[in-house]
Amino acid sequence: MKKKKGQMVVSNVIFIVLNLLFLSILTLFIYKQGNGAIVLEQSYAKNIALLIDSAKPITEMKLNMKDAFKLAEKNGISREEIVTINENLITVKLTENSGYDYSFFNNVDVTVYPDLISENNYIIQINGYK
Amino acid sequence: MIKLQNKRGGEEILAMYWFAIILIIAGGIYLMIYYFYGTPYDIRDLESRILMNQIADCVSYGGKINSSLVLGGIFSVNQENFLDTCHLNFNSSEWDVEQFYTEVNFYELDNLENSSFMIKKGNEDWEANCEIQEGEDYEKLAQCAEKSFYSVDETNNQYIIKILTVVRKSEKNVKL
Repeated sequence: MKKKKGQMVVSNVIFIVLNLLFLSILTLFIYKQGNGAIVLEQSYAKNIALLIDSAKPITEMKLNMKDAFKLAEKNGISREEIVTINENLITVKLTENSGYDYSFFNNVDVTVYPDLISENNYIIQINGYK
Repeated sequence: MIKLQNKRGGEEILAMYWFAIILIIAGGIYLMIYYFYGTPYDIRDLESRILMNQIADCVSYGGKINSSLVLGGIFSVNQENFLDTCHLNFNSSEWDVEQFYTEVNFYELDNLENSSFMIKKGNEDWEANCEIQEGEDYEKLAQCAEKSFYSVDETNNQYIIKILTVVRKSEKNVKL
């Protein structure tokens, strides 16, 4: 009888541990998906495109890119390489093998560079019309 | 003895049942997450509104029509240079064909049926999408924004200006 009770406790503990393991793997999976390079690259590229499209010349904007910096650092991408602008095409790159492009229609001359004072920001500078 | 064997069998079936439930839940959550994060952010509505506002600011600023477009009641705008005048660039190496279209109509107050002057720029193919703004496939089509406002030129001729902007870029904003 005692042996049977002991077996029940062990199987319940195993069941609870497995459930907790399952839930933590699931939470980790959801967190990883939400903070993955593909999602962040797209989100930042589109954000920057919208900021540039709605900006007027001689404007300086600061964009908080803390999550992108963290991920890029982990993947060996330097801060200067994260955002690049070629003609009217923005590219955000957070891993060696990925990158997301999005174009903007505002015909302006833009400079982008990481902020040296505030470590989490990227500076988007609208210099003038082309 | 037979009873004990039945009980063990029942426990095994229950364990398999739990295992199946967990697999179904995990599969369901995986599919939901995959669908949620696999669907691109659709910013075309914002883009078309920003484009519309940029064109509105270019055509008329502070209630006065841009003098390089209308002077003394005469439309002097060069259709070819309209995008340059408004500092817009519809071309991109990202796309083979232009993904934008815009149409600006000037109506005199005594004749709101027929426009006195019209400016069309971009890819006209996307204009037809604006007529279908509902249904299952609506999101896959180009997104449109429209607004009209009142303005006067330098000699106080009054106009209603209607602006239509269309942004396609479906491949980058919708799961096709």
